[in-house]
Amino acid sequence: MNENLFTPFSTPTILNQPATIPIILFPAMLVLTSKHPINNRLATIQQNLTQLILKQMMMTHNAKGQTWSLMLMSLITFIAMTNLLGLLPYSFTPTTQLSMNLAMAIPLWTGTVMVGFRFKTKNSLAHLLPQGTPTPLIPMLVVIETVSLLIQPVALAVRLTANITAGHLLMHLIGNAALALSTTNFSLTLLTSTLLALLTVLEIAVALIQAYVFTLLVSLYLHNNT
Amino acid sequence: MPQLDTSTWFTTIMTMLPTLYLITQLKLLNTNHYQPPLTKNSNLQSHSIRWQPKWTKTCLPLSQPQQS
Repeated sequence: MNENLFTPFSTPTILNQPATIPIILFPAMLVLTSKHPINNRLATIQQNLTQLILKQMMMTHNAKGQTWSLMLMSLITFIAMTNLLGLLPYSFTPTTQLSMNLAMAIPLWTGTVMVGFRFKTKNSLAHLLPQGTPTPLIPMLVVIETVSLLIQPVALAVRLTANITAGHLLMHLIGNAALALSTTNFSLTLLTSTLLALLTVLEIAVALIQAYVFTLLVSLYLHNNT
Repeated sequence: MPQLDTSTWFTTIMTMLPTLYLITQLKLLNTNHYQPPLTKNSNLQSHSIRWQPKWTKTCLPLSQPQQS
């Protein structure tokens, strides 16, 4: 049973070739680019959404932080598209792979820390100690703050992986249970309604993208502006 | 857990890197956000209409009797 439950998360192969390559590339193709001033409805909706998200996210940054806006917009677009496409049945979600999330989290977090160290060295080092701590506690607190800083990329990656994986697993389990109980008919409606509710709750996969980008934003903000 | 099978990690990471850093960014750069066409010029018009005295010479020829 373990083998069946976790096989949706193994990287798919077609004729022994990795199928992850087109699967990861596919959501980027859904971003529409057109040169017309007035587009069709889908393109207009996408453009308006992009502008809305851009303004909301980049409002809190100064000019130096806003140079990251393209990176953060592409990050939120990529993760949102990937997660939403993974909600389709029998699809593979690349963000369930710890490899990909680690490869996203570590370079971006390192970038924000490096920016903070290069341009505001004293400020970013001063973040390691909260204000108003009593003097005997200072060494211990510096260690604690350093650990909490170093754990940020790991937390970013594992948060995304674990949340998406757990959501998909839960949907598989409840779907299988509903199917198995379909012979005894009266509890089927209860379970399918639970599955539907869980599916809409899982559209909070999009909220997870918010969580991802916002935590990245928070660290960028702190390191950059203060 | 199949996510911890490191044999596929290289492929996944190497595909994600150009997708995220190249393709998505290029696509976002190539969307042109056009401004709605009528919002820009109206302020400029109301700002520069101030009656200049030299216009009265051409516009009201009866005010300058020696030219008639």
